[in-house]
Amino acid sequence: MVFDVFFLQQVINGLSIGCVYALMAIGFTLIFGVLNVVNFAHGEVYTIGAFVGLMVITALAPPLLAVVPLVLAVGAASGVGLERIAFRPFRRFTDEASQKSRAMREATLLSSLAVSIVAREIMMHIFGGDMQGIPSGYLLQQPVAIGPIMVASGSLVIFATSAVMLGALQFLLYRTQTGLGIRAVSNNQLGARYVGINTDRTIVTTFAVGSMLGATAGILVGLYDGAISPHMGFAPGVKAFVAMVMGGLSSIPGAVACALLLGVSESIATEFLSSGWKDLITYSLLVITLVFFPQGLFGHGRERA
Amino acid sequence: MDVNVPDARLMPDTLAPPAAFSGRGRRFAWTLLLLAVAFGAVPAAIVGTGSSYLAQIAITTMIFVILSASLNHVTGTAGLLSIGHAAFYGIGAYAAALLSTRLGLPFIVTLPAAGLIAALFGFLVALPTMRLVSIYFAVATLGIGEMIYVILLNWIDLTRGPMGIRGIPPIGLLGWQADTLLSRYLAVAVIAVACVWVLHRLTHSYYGNALRALREDDQCADSMGINVERLKIESFVVATFFAGVAGALLAHTSAYIAPDNFRFMESILILAMVVVGGLGSLPGAVVGALFMIVLPEALRDIGDYRMIAVGATMFLSILLLPKGMLAEGTALGFVRRSFSRGWATIAGGTPVGWK
Repeated sequence: MVFDVFFLQQVINGLSIGCVYALMAIGFTLIFGVLNVVNFAHGEVYTIGAFVGLMVITALAPPLLAVVPLVLAVGAASGVGLERIAFRPFRRFTDEASQKSRAMREATLLSSLAVSIVAREIMMHIFGGDMQGIPSGYLLQQPVAIGPIMVASGSLVIFATSAVMLGALQFLLYRTQTGLGIRAVSNNQLGARYVGINTDRTIVTTFAVGSMLGATAGILVGLYDGAISPHMGFAPGVKAFVAMVMGGLSSIPGAVACALLLGVSESIATEFLSSGWKDLITYSLLVITLVFFPQGLFGHGRERA
Repeated sequence: MDVNVPDARLMPDTLAPPAAFSGRGRRFAWTLLLLAVAFGAVPAAIVGTGSSYLAQIAITTMIFVILSASLNHVTGTAGLLSIGHAAFYGIGAYAAALLSTRLGLPFIVTLPAAGLIAALFGFLVALPTMRLVSIYFAVATLGIGEMIYVILLNWIDLTRGPMGIRGIPPIGLLGWQADTLLSRYLAVAVIAVACVWVLHRLTHSYYGNALRALREDDQCADSMGINVERLKIESFVVATFFAGVAGALLAHTSAYIAPDNFRFMESILILAMVVVGGLGSLPGAVVGALFMIVLPEALRDIGDYRMIAVGATMFLSILLLPKGMLAEGTALGFVRRSFSRGWATIAGGTPVGWK
C-alpha cells in the first residue's frame, strides 16, 4: 500500500485547511467578479469573524450552532460597511472609460488596503497584538477515529460547514433572482445596468455574501487552532488570493479546486520540508501557473484590460 | 495634416511656455533650491538640533525616496503594477551585507554590486512574467516577492534567517568612514539625489514617452514600432537596480538587517507612496515618500493611534486626490518648464516633446 495512514491524515488536514482557503477565495472571487478590483480588506473580515465569535463565546457561552449565525450576520454587516466606506466612493463615475481606468482601479485597491490597515490597528487596540486563547470547551480538537485514521473534530466541522455553505452559494447563484443579478453584473456591469439591474444593490449583496463566507472561515479556524490574533487574516488572505488567481480570477469552482490543491500540497510539503519552507510551495505553484497558464488553470479568456 | 502647420489644439495653454521663458535661469533656480534643501537645510537642522532621531528619519526618508522613485518608474511610467518591490530591496540589502561581512568588500564595491545583483534577479523575474498583463503581472510579482522573503527567512546558512545580519560596516570611501549620523546622511543623500537624477533623465525624455505610450496601450505602442517587450523588461530591471541600491544603503546605514524589513507590507508602503504622490509623476513619488515617512513620525505624540491615523490619511488622500498630490500631467508640465532644457520646437516655433 502506497498510502500509509499518516500520509492520509496529512491529506485530510490539508483538505480542511484548503476548505478554509476556499471559503475565503470564494469571497475574493465574487467581489473581483462584480467590481474587477481586488479587495485587500478581505483578510480583516476573516479576523473580525474570529474575534466576534470569541467575544460571543466568552460573554454568552452559547451553543456552538448559535455562534455561526451570529458570525454570519456580523460578516454580512462588515461586508456592507466595507463596501460603503472603501469601494462606493470610488464608483462615482460609471462610464466605461473610468471603469477601465487603471488609476481608478489602483485607487480602489489601495483604499481597501488603507481601510484594512485601520481595521487591523483598531482591533490591535481593542484586543492587543498577542494571541488570544479560545475557551477550551469550544475547541474543535478532539480526535475522532474513522477506521485507522484519527481526524480532529474541527476538520469534520470544517468539511460540513464548507459543504453547506458551498451548496447554499450554488443555490443562491443559480436558483434565485439575486444570484442572477450577481452573475449578470460580473459578466458585464454596464450591460446589467442597461437591462435594469440595480448594480449598486447587487454589489452590496455580493460583499455581504462574500464576507459571510470569509467571517465563517475565520471563526472555524479560530476554533480549530485555538488561538486568534489581529494579524491572523494576512496569511490565509494571501493564500486565498493565490487560489483565486490560479483558478482564473472569475471561476468559483476553479478557486475552490485550487484552494484545496494549495491546502493539500502545503500539508504534504510539511512532511518533507521544515514548516518554514511550505509557503514556498504555494508561491511556486502560483508563479508556475501564471507562466504556463496565464489565464489561470480554470479561467477562460478575458478581455485584455 | 501638414506637419508644418501645428494644430493649436494639441498644445493646451497650461503646457505652453510662459511668455518670459528663461529655461536656463529657472532650471538653475529650482535645482539650486532642491540641492539647498537636501544638502543645506536638512544637515543644518541635524547639526542645529543635534538630534540623532532627526538624522535617522532623514536617512530613512532618502532611502524610501529611491524606492518610491524607482517603483514609480516601473508602475507609474511603464504601467506595470509591481507589488513585490520590497523583495528586490531585500536582495540588494542582503547582497551588500553578505559581500561586506563575509568577503570584506568595501562600500564602493558593494553598492553597485547590490544594485546589479538585484537587477539580475529583476531580469530573471521579468523574462517569464512580462507576457502577463494587468492584474496577473501584479500577482506574479506578489508571489515572487513572497518567495524571496521565504528564502531570506529560511536559508539559514546564507542569511542567518530571522536573526538577521549584524555588524555591517558603515558607508566608507578610500579610508574615510561615515561614522557620524550627519556624514551618513550626507552620503545617503548624495546617492539618493544621483538616483533620482538618473530616473528623471530616463522618465522625462522621449524614452519616457515611449514608456508612457506602452502603459496607455501596449498593443497600440507595439504597432507603432515600439519594442514593447524590451522596454518593459528594461524598466523593470532599472527599477530593481535602484531598489537594490536602496537596500545596500539600508544595510550600510543601519548595520543590521532582517527579513522582516522586506515583507509584503513594505512593498505596499512603497506603492502607497507612489499612489499618494501621483502615479507616473516622479516629483510626486518623492513627495509621497516624504509624506508617508514623515507623517507617522509627526504623529508620534498620539502614540498607539498613529497607524490608524496613517491608514486614515492614506484613505483620505486617495479619496480626495485620486490622481495624487502631484498629478502626472501637472508634474510633467512642471518638470518640462523647470528642469528640462525646455521644448524641442517644430517648424513654426511650436514647442513639443523634450529637448
